[in-house]
Amino acid sequence: MWGFLTTITSLEFKGGKAFKPEEEHYLCMHWTVKRIFQAVFTVYVVVTLSFALIRLMPGGPMDYLRATLLGPDQTGTVDRERLNRQIELYMNINPDQPLWEQYVQYMSSVFTGDFGQSIWFNRPVAEILLEALPWTVFVMGIALLLTFAINIALGAIMAYKEGSRFDISMTFLSIISTSIPFYVGAILFLLFFSFTWELFPPGSRVNARLDPWTFEWIMSVLHHATLPILSSVLIGLGSGALIMRGNSIQVLGKDYLRVGRLRGLPEGRLALRYVGRNAVLPMYTSLMIAIGNVFGGAVVLEEIFTYPGVGYYLFVAVEARDYMLLMGAFILITVAVVVCLVVADLTYGLIDPRAKGGGYDEHA
Amino acid sequence: MAVTESSYSTGSSEDVIIETHDVSVYFEMDRGTSKVLDDVSLDIYREEILGIVGESGSGKSMFASALLDAVVAPGKTSGDILYHDADGSTIDVLSLNQEELRAFRWEKVSMVFQGAMDSFNPTLRIKGHFIETLKAHDFDVDEGLERATDLLAQVYLDPDRVLSSYPHELSGGMKQRVLIALSLLLDPDVLVMDEPTAALDLLMQRSILRLLENLQQRYDLTVLFITHDLPLVAELSDRVAVLYAFQFVEVGPVSELLERSSHPYTRALLNAVPTLQTPLSDMEPIEGSSPDPINVPTGCSYHPRCPLADERCIGEEPPFYATEHDDHQTKCFHWEDAISEIPLAHHKSTTGSSQIVEGKQSEEPVLTLDNLCVHFENNNSFLGLFGESQTVFAVDEIDLDLYENDILAIVGESGCGKTTLGKASIALQRPTSGEVQYRGDDIWAVKDGRSESDRSYSAIRRALQIIHQDPGSSLNPNQKILRTLESPIKHWKSDMSQTDRRSQIYGLLEYVGLTPAEEYAQRYPHQLSGGEKQRVALTRALLMNPEVILADEAVSALDVSLRVEMMDMMISLQNMFDTSYIFISHDLANARYFAGSVGGRIAVMYLGEIVEIGPAEEVIQNPKHPYTKVLKWSTAELDSDASQEELPLRNIDIPDPVNPPSGCRFHTRCPEARTECRVNSPKLEATDDGDGIEAHQVACFLDKPRDHPYWSSDQLVSEDNPTLVE
Ligand code: SF4
Ligand code: SF4
Repeated sequence: MWGFLTTITSLEFKGGKAFKPEEEHYLCMHWTVKRIFQAVFTVYVVVTLSFALIRLMPGGPMDYLRATLLGPDQTGTVDRERLNRQIELYMNINPDQPLWEQYVQYMSSVFTGDFGQSIWFNRPVAEILLEALPWTVFVMGIALLLTFAINIALGAIMAYKEGSRFDISMTFLSIISTSIPFYVGAILFLLFFSFTWELFPPGSRVNARLDPWTFEWIMSVLHHATLPILSSVLIGLGSGALIMRGNSIQVLGKDYLRVGRLRGLPEGRLALRYVGRNAVLPMYTSLMIAIGNVFGGAVVLEEIFTYPGVGYYLFVAVEARDYMLLMGAFILITVAVVVCLVVADLTYGLIDPRAKGGGYDEHA
Repeated sequence: MAVTESSYSTGSSEDVIIETHDVSVYFEMDRGTSKVLDDVSLDIYREEILGIVGESGSGKSMFASALLDAVVAPGKTSGDILYHDADGSTIDVLSLNQEELRAFRWEKVSMVFQGAMDSFNPTLRIKGHFIETLKAHDFDVDEGLERATDLLAQVYLDPDRVLSSYPHELSGGMKQRVLIALSLLLDPDVLVMDEPTAALDLLMQRSILRLLENLQQRYDLTVLFITHDLPLVAELSDRVAVLYAFQFVEVGPVSELLERSSHPYTRALLNAVPTLQTPLSDMEPIEGSSPDPINVPTGCSYHPRCPLADERCIGEEPPFYATEHDDHQTKCFHWEDAISEIPLAHHKSTTGSSQIVEGKQSEEPVLTLDNLCVHFENNNSFLGLFGESQTVFAVDEIDLDLYENDILAIVGESGCGKTTLGKASIALQRPTSGEVQYRGDDIWAVKDGRSESDRSYSAIRRALQIIHQDPGSSLNPNQKILRTLESPIKHWKSDMSQTDRRSQIYGLLEYVGLTPAEEYAQRYPHQLSGGEKQRVALTRALLMNPEVILADEAVSALDVSLRVEMMDMMISLQNMFDTSYIFISHDLANARYFAGSVGGRIAVMYLGEIVEIGPAEEVIQNPKHPYTKVLKWSTAELDSDASQEELPLRNIDIPDPVNPPSGCRFHTRCPEARTECRVNSPKLEATDDGDGIEAHQVACFLDKPRDHPYWSSDQLVSEDNPTLVE
């Protein structure tokens, strides 16, 4: 409906419609509230879904847990009440209650931060994830920022030298790098840098014997994080650079650049304020989406480097059929993705004046 | 050849500000050098307004860019361009280094491009553009901003509001005016304008020209105005130079050029333009097309299209001949014959009763609009939490009938709702309230299955077709023309054999002048010119055997010389296929040409309402509503000494349709507005001047008898734009 409306109105009303600032503010307010509401709703649906998976799937987590608790001889030595209490402890669900009460109880636990108990580690899921989260954010955050910065610089240079040998070879490399699955790179890195040359440790986050926050400790953290970061950066190069290149070339052909040049603006200002800014802005949304996707990538990456972050635990949970840990990680990642998208949407209007609140004229 | 040496020189003592000698612009390409400006020489006088006229692709933009040595790479410029500064020094523009060039541009000569929509950095406020320009040229920022404020006010803008806006928040006409202010910021002596108004509607074009005249006098500017539109510059300029095939073919004072132009091309240009004065029957399109830079005809480059061409023209390039007037020179062997052989249409002229093809219109309307409203809800409220939503009143309470073989032209400036009305009448836009009936059946009721009628929606859909303004965007670029044309027929008449289908398509293509049809059918859209694409769009509409075709600014994007041709063809097709047209245009002259030739009607729209409607000639010759008069004023007339009357508007920009003014919606701009107009809104009623033409209706109190409260209320003066009451 909206797209349709905007087309129609923009056809007719391109002229003469200069929004007064207050009106623009209005639109933003409506839209912000709507967007946040959507996000909360998405999270709610996902959590409900996780309840449905746990509770209603035949042969699913519930049965599995019951079987595990009963042990190999399912003769009924454990009385039913105790069993259910145990299940409730692990899963926040008491099978004896009516379904809706189970649902209410489960939802309220999750939304108060209680994700149940991990069977494999025998610790609260929330505790495990909370402890792992900073490490994932640390590694993937640095990797992402580096990737983006390098991509933008690379793409801009390629665009300025469009058609040069540098441009052509980098384009070629970028396409190759984009088409390699990232775990292949990670495994190769591990193989050479850790096992063959022994430059970097093959696993864990830090040398556990060091005291936290000492200089050695920090160095050790960086040392351990180098390989995961490097492999994710190297593999992430390419597609972003190509997008930046395309955007920049488009801006380079714009009239406003030509007029800016005629007006005698210094090259530096043209490069940063004109080409740079207008080419990078459309990539902002994709940066935010990339942040959301980071957790997905973290699963395989952390597993390969045995780096205990959220992704690593998710992998372990899958292998061990530790459903509560799995659900917890799943919900955490969903929330992260949703939050990133909302932040991207809400802030895009602030950094790009063209995106009015509520307008979906994406320039990506 | 000795010709170029004897090319145009002034021979007068007037003060020359820019001299150009043998200036060429060329591109080195694999298949040879492409000269897009070929050894031209022209002097530009201090403080004159020089119009440069040419078709698209005649090299006129290259000439503009060359003056600032701003031809885009890989194009190269050669020759001499000398700029004579006011202090007596001379600058050789083409030998300046980067730094000198940077200072020269914008401080001495500045330029306004056609693409005003795109001339501003979208992520920078308008104020930023002014400040960065001042800084780049080491001007004092505070003083400069004061000048900017002053300039903006002079182009009828609210300086504070505009300076704090982002470019996308301004309309096209506003941006163009901001650009003019920006180009005058550093007080240059010369302003080069390259098609500055082409993308705007006529009223805005005319308003900008009027402003430009004022600015030129106030700041002692030399203005170079480059355009394809001869009548447009004729009114503004002191002198006009005509470019054809990368060379000047005629240069002279504007009155000379209009009255005694002596080059066949200029005369043809003059005859190809529809105006309100010339008899319809005397307008004729120029045959043929302008040459490609790779393949310029030998001798006189105009000879393939020239009715006077002879052997000599083909073999030899003509020099410039001086005509009786000193300052008027023509590049044609037979210039004396041209004056007698090619009569100018606007000479015979005056309010002609043209021969009107009596439309055989039916009694029963094909389309009936009943109290039609289209309101767009700009609604972003979440559960109505914050404030009320905004309503855009695109079309408001319109009643209309369209008959068989009818032509209705809807005119108005952009933002008046004419496109929405057009779309709503052929059921491409669902009305908010009211009805659109097709032969008595409510179309939307049929669509929703609420109707008793046994007519199917798809049949109605087929009967109502549209041709868009931009023919390119409506054709799939990846499909051959044949496929584009075939697919709708396949849906509609699936049992038709391929041979029948194709022969029908070829026949129609031939009919619209795309011959050989088989060859055109195999082309892709990018291999067609704008005019040809528009014909394909027309063919596609006609294949559906429609009863009504909505032509939405269908000729506006075409070069002036092609417009008449296209309109002629559409009219002749009407007789063959029995279609009616709804013709949407911002140009009253086009509307008159189109509707007038078959006895159609013109409806004038303003902010969602029809303010005047009537038979085409009646509305044009005897306009009642002040807005119609303004539109008529905006239609350039071929008249060099058009009276210098003031802008007949109190405000240039059309108000925001989100919040239309109270009372008569035109009262914020109407020169005749009185306090009564602010309170009450006039109804659309038959005019009352006893001319017996009942169909002529107008919505204005001016038309009311003297005892109407309007006449006793006070005149409104502009309160919102102080610059207007000087
Ligand atoms: S020189 Fe010949 S061909 Fe050229 S314009 Fe004159 S008459 Fe026509
Ligand atoms: S009603 Fe008043 S404001 Fe409206 S057009 Fe007539 S005179 Fe002008």
